[in-house]
Amino acid sequence: MPANLDRRPVIAGLGMTELGQVYGRSAASFAAEAVRLAVADAGCTLGDVDGLLTSNGSSGGVGLGLQRDLDLHDLKLLSEMHGYGSTAGAMVQVASMAVQAGMAEMVACVFADAPLRPGRSAGDVYSGPRAGTGRAERRIPTGWGGLLAATGVSGANTLYALAARRHMLRYGTTTEDFGAIAVAQRAWAATNPLAQMREPLTLADHQASRWIVEPFHLLDCCLVSNGGIAVIVTSEARARSLAQPPVHVLGWAQSHPGRLFDRDENFGLVTGAAQSGPAALGMAGVTLAEVDVAELYDCYTYTVLVSLEDYGFCEKGEGGAFVSGGALGPDGKLKCNTGGGQLSSYYMWGMTPLSEAVIQVRGQGGARQADPHDVVLVSGNGGILDHHATLVLGTGPP
Amino acid sequence: MTVGLVGRDATTAAFFDGAAAGQFLIRRCSPAGHASRPQVRQCSTCGSTELRWVPASGGARLVSWAVVPGRRGGEDDAPGPSIVVVVGELDEGPWWWSQIVGADPGSLAEGQRLRIGFEGAEGGEVVPVFEVA
Repeated sequence: MPANLDRRPVIAGLGMTELGQVYGRSAASFAAEAVRLAVADAGCTLGDVDGLLTSNGSSGGVGLGLQRDLDLHDLKLLSEMHGYGSTAGAMVQVASMAVQAGMAEMVACVFADAPLRPGRSAGDVYSGPRAGTGRAERRIPTGWGGLLAATGVSGANTLYALAARRHMLRYGTTTEDFGAIAVAQRAWAATNPLAQMREPLTLADHQASRWIVEPFHLLDCCLVSNGGIAVIVTSEARARSLAQPPVHVLGWAQSHPGRLFDRDENFGLVTGAAQSGPAALGMAGVTLAEVDVAELYDCYTYTVLVSLEDYGFCEKGEGGAFVSGGALGPDGKLKCNTGGGQLSSYYMWGMTPLSEAVIQVRGQGGARQADPHDVVLVSGNGGILDHHATLVLGTGPP
Repeated sequence: MTVGLVGRDATTAAFFDGAAAGQFLIRRCSPAGHASRPQVRQCSTCGSTELRWVPASGGARLVSWAVVPGRRGGEDDAPGPSIVVVVGELDEGPWWWSQIVGADPGSLAEGQRLRIGFEGAEGGEVVPVFEVA
């Protein structure tokens, strides 16, 4: 904890554009709107913003130029950050440290992406180049990435499927276990007006959905969305005169394993959450048992399962039994991915769990509001289990 | 043929020369002889930047696999063949990622013995694949 309590970091604003199949707009346009919405939500003006952190999705186009687009003057902090799905959490961490240090007073952190176009499938956005499809190659790829892609090793779906299979082989995790996560999150999404997919889902629906890359069915995979989300990080003192209930940033940590891919490699079995979780909880001064809500990065059902183990909500290897035993969902004992997550609600990378966490801590979740909601854990996962950022948010210091 | 085209560059040229000669080359550091993946810029064990290319035995064990369904988009929009992508642990220690050819995915098992084979596509370099040993 910093010596000066007034400078403790607080999330005071949340801005979310329309999310999903929203066409005809650039990522930069979504980013600017998200910041304007976050500022308005906080009850301040763009003129109050003295720090800006930006991050891109797959479409690019969100960078330092956002300062000009928003006509922000005399910023004391400006940077573009990138750690894939861990970036949203990492931005809040940097903003929190800047506020604590007195370097900046009000930092906007924004992510936006616009990969979807009419007629382009969501799968095409993330599947990467494919071998042997008969498609005309404009140029022959080179490098190690080109070599791997030539043999079919490319795209997040394939690489995460290899990770998930390893977990299944080692611990007996099943596709039905993954399905339990999809079903539980859809049940949460049913009461979230922001969610893109709200129709009820059964385990049979999950099992009947087509293979994307086996062992992943379609319903194991996240959505792809256009849109933007921003948060405003400020000091506890400044937040007292603002509009929203303060969301305290109590603890944080990152983990970047730097895998060797050699004998004894734990790829697929353990993620960076195993390191960043205890570190963030320790900084916050709370135990896992005191966590009321967990918002976990869910690019796939599998990443929820392995993250639950790594944070310690269940023992390593027992994630399958934990989720298939009914631990998740609105009636479960662990309030997890309460907005439906990236599987059912909207896919804004690390901003998906972060935005839902802010809503939950504030108590603004409506029909899906968890109670109590004093301590909320937020997990961001980036790359192929390469980057992890954990935040512990709460209604106040423990 | 289920492998795609890849060309060589300065970092991969030696590896592809080996593949064309039927050898899977890995790196070994000169000071201690530690084995590392072909892609490394320094020894995974000791950090030495003095690396040699040496042939691996070609033996491996199966770590994980995934089945990628054939995608439509070929001639007459027919789906292409499914491929099975695997992670194999070379007997020397490093992991390699490639597709396995000639294997029924339903018959695969963790730890199963594999060997490196090679496939070439017209107009591209010869690339390593896995086969059931």
